[in-house]
Amino acid sequence: MTTRVEMKNVHKQYGNNDVIKGVDLQVQDNEVVVLIGPSGAGKSTVLRMINGLETTTSGSIMIDNVDIAKPGVNINAIREKIGMVFQHFNLFPNMSVRDNITLAPIELGVMDKATANAEADKLLATVGLSEKADEMPNSLSGGQKQRVAIARALAMKPEIMLFDEPTSALDPEMVGDVLAVMRKLARQGMTMVIVTHEMGFAKEVADRVVFFGDGHILEQGTPEQIFDHPNHPRLQTFLNQVLNA
Amino acid sequence: MKRSWFWTALVATFITVVAFLAPQSVHAAEKTYTIGTDVTFAPFEFANKDNQYVGIDIDLMNAIAKTEGFKVNIKPLGFNAAVQALEAKQIDGVIAGMSITPERQAKFAMSDPYYTSGVVGAAKTGAHIKSLNDLRGKKVAVKTGTASADYVNSIKKKYNLTVVTFDDSNNVYQDVITGNSAACFEDQPVMQYGIATGLALKIFTKPAESGTYGIAIKKGEPELLAKVNAGIKKLKANGQYDKIVAKYLGTGSNKSQKEKNDSTQETDHSFLGLLKTNSGTLMGGLGETLLLTVVAIVCATVVGILIGLLGVIPNKLAQGTATTFIYIFRGLPLMVLALLIYTGIPSLTGTKIPAFVAGIVTLTLNEGAYTAAFVKGGIGSVDKGQMEAARSLGLPWSKAMRRVILPQGIKIMIPSFINQFIITLKDTSILSVIGLLELTQTGKIIIARNMEGFKIWTMVALMYLIIITLLTWLSNWVQKKVNA
Ligand SMILES: Nc1ncnc2c1ncn2[C@@H]1O[C@H](COP(=O)(O)OP(=O)(O)OP(=O)(O)O)[C@@H](O)[C@H]1O
Ligand SMILES: [Mg+2]
Repeated sequence: MTTRVEMKNVHKQYGNNDVIKGVDLQVQDNEVVVLIGPSGAGKSTVLRMINGLETTTSGSIMIDNVDIAKPGVNINAIREKIGMVFQHFNLFPNMSVRDNITLAPIELGVMDKATANAEADKLLATVGLSEKADEMPNSLSGGQKQRVAIARALAMKPEIMLFDEPTSALDPEMVGDVLAVMRKLARQGMTMVIVTHEMGFAKEVADRVVFFGDGHILEQGTPEQIFDHPNHPRLQTFLNQVLNA
Repeated sequence: MKRSWFWTALVATFITVVAFLAPQSVHAAEKTYTIGTDVTFAPFEFANKDNQYVGIDIDLMNAIAKTEGFKVNIKPLGFNAAVQALEAKQIDGVIAGMSITPERQAKFAMSDPYYTSGVVGAAKTGAHIKSLNDLRGKKVAVKTGTASADYVNSIKKKYNLTVVTFDDSNNVYQDVITGNSAACFEDQPVMQYGIATGLALKIFTKPAESGTYGIAIKKGEPELLAKVNAGIKKLKANGQYDKIVAKYLGTGSNKSQKEKNDSTQETDHSFLGLLKTNSGTLMGGLGETLLLTVVAIVCATVVGILIGLLGVIPNKLAQGTATTFIYIFRGLPLMVLALLIYTGIPSLTGTKIPAFVAGIVTLTLNEGAYTAAFVKGGIGSVDKGQMEAARSLGLPWSKAMRRVILPQGIKIMIPSFINQFIITLKDTSILSVIGLLELTQTGKIIIARNMEGFKIWTMVALMYLIIITLLTWLSNWVQKKVNA
C-alpha cells in the first residue's frame, strides 16, 4: 500500500474561530474515501486543503511524501495530479464545453491542440455527452454541467480526484447520471476523496467512511462499521437524521 | 509562481510612460526667448478674427525684440497658466497687462513700467449709477489677479461693497448685464474695447490711477531684463510706443475705438455669421480636444487595467499600491491635479513639461484611477469559484486570470469603459486651465474678442454633444459586437 495523502495534526482558524481542530487523515493508493458529517463540520475545508485551495494554520499535509506547504514546492505541479469537482460545477462560461476541457492541457503544454481535442472528445464520450462538445456551458442542464466538470478535471490525467458534494446542487433525476460516472471511476481504481450526503452511494463505493463533527474526525471505518454498527453517539444521531429525512 | 508575463507588461508600460515624459530637446543655438501671454485680455492680447494673436502687448513685445536684436516666441497660454509656467521656469517671461506689485517683484524680475493703467467702473446702460456713492452696499464684479481687483479691494470698506471675482473678463461683464452685480471694474482700454464691441455697459467713473504694467522676467535672466528695459525706453522715445497703443485704442473716444475694433473683429454677429468666421478656429479646438481624448483614453485604459490587476494580485504590497493610487488620483480634483503636474513637477525636477504632456498625464492618472477602480471591481465580481476551478487544474494565477477571469470581467466592465470614455472627453475641457487650446479654451478666446458669450457657448456645446453622440453610437456598436 502506498500512501498518497497524509494529513498530520492539521488545524485551521478563521480569525479566532477554530474550524479544524487536529485532523489526521490518510488516503491510500486506489482507495475511495467518503467524508460525511453535519453541516459546518469542516468536510469541505479538509478536502480543499488537500490541493492547497485552503491553507492550514498548523500541521502538515503530504502528497506523495511532499509537504505542500514547504517553501519552494510547486503547488501547480501538485494540483496537476489532483482533479477537483465542485458543488456548483464552476465551468468557465466564456468558453465551449470542449475548450473547458482542453484549457489546462493546452495552456500547461502537456498536449498539443489536436491531441487535447481528441482526448476531450474521448472524455465526453465516457461521461455520455459527445454531442455537447461545441455547446456553451450555460445551455446545459445541471447534471450535464457536472459531468462536463468531471471530464474537465480528468483532462490532466490526475491520479487523485476530490469531489465536494457533486450532486447537492442537482435535481434528483440528474443525480444518477453523475453518480454513474463516479462509480465507473472508482471501479477503474482512481484514488478518490468524496464529500457527499448520498449515503447509499457512500455505502456502495467507499472503501472507508470518515465521520466529521465539529472540526474533528469522530469515527472512521468500513461502510459496514459506520452505517451498521456506529459507535459515536453523534454519528448515531447524524445517521438517524439523514436516513429518516 | 510564474507571473512573468504580468511583470513584463508592467515594466514595459512604465518604460513607455517614462520615455513619454522625458524632457523634449531644447534649442540652445539661437537666443530665442519664450514669453507667455494671456489669451482673453483685449485689447492688450487677444485672437483676432483670423485667429492670430494681436494686441498692444504682442506688438510691443515684438517691437522690443526687434530693436534689441533677439528672437521671441510668444505663447498664448492664458493668464494663470502663463504666470504658473513662469513660476515653474517653463518660460522666460510674461507680458499680459501685469500690474507691478511687491509680491510679483519678489517672485520675478519685473521690468520698468510700460503702461499706466486707469481703472474705471461700468454699470448697465440705463441703470441709475452715476458715481461710486451709488454703489453703496451693492455687489461689484472684477477679474481675479488684476489691477482692478486690487483697486476695488482698496475701496470696498469705504463703500461697503461685496466683491465677486471671475477668471474671465466676459463673465465679469455678463454678471453686470444680467443684474447679479451692480457694476464691474476693469482697466479703461479693456472696458472701452468691450463697450465698443457691443456690451450694454456704460463707464461712470474717471480712470483711477491704480498702478503700472510691467513685463515679468524669469529670475536669473538679467540679460533679458536689461534688453526689455532698454527696449521700452527706446520705443517710448522714438514714438513707436504711442503708435502701437493708438493702433488698438484710437484717440480714446468710443467712436474711434469702434473703428479700430472693426479691423480685428468679425463684422457679422449673427449666429450663422459667427459660425462661419469662427468655424476654422473651433474645429482646431475640437481637433485638439479629440487628440487629447484619444491619447488619454488609450493611456488611461492601459494604466487603469494594470493598476486594477495590481489590485487583485494576492499580495498585500500590490493591493496596497493599487488602493493608494486609486485613493489619491480619484480623490484629487482634476483641475488641482493638472496644475500640480504642470507647475509642480517642473519646480521639483527642473525639467519642463509641455502642456499637452502634462494634460495627458493628468487625464491618465485621474481617468486611470477610475478605470482601475472598476477593473478591480469587475474582476472581483467574477464568481470566486472560477478562480478556484482554474487553479485546481494546475493553472498558475496569471494564466487563470488571463484566460478565465479577465474575459468574464471585461464583459462586466464594458458599460463602465464607455461611460469613462465619455467622461474623459468632457474632462478635457478642464485642461484649459493649463492653456491647452482645446475646444473650451477656444471658445473663451473667441468670446474675449467678440463678447458673444451665449452664441459661442451654444456652438461649443453643440460640438461636444455631436461628438458624444458619435462616441456613444460607436461604443454601442462595439458592445453589440462583443456580446454577440
Ligand atoms: N472563508 C471562511 N471564513 C470564515 N469561516 C469559514 C470560512 N469558510 C468556512 N468557514 C467555517 O468553517 C466551518 C467549516 O466549514 P466547511 O465548509 O468546511 O463545512 P462543511 O462540513 O463542508 O459543511 P457543509 O456540509 O455545510 O458544506 C464552518 O463553521 C464555516 O462557517
Ligand atoms: Mg461543504
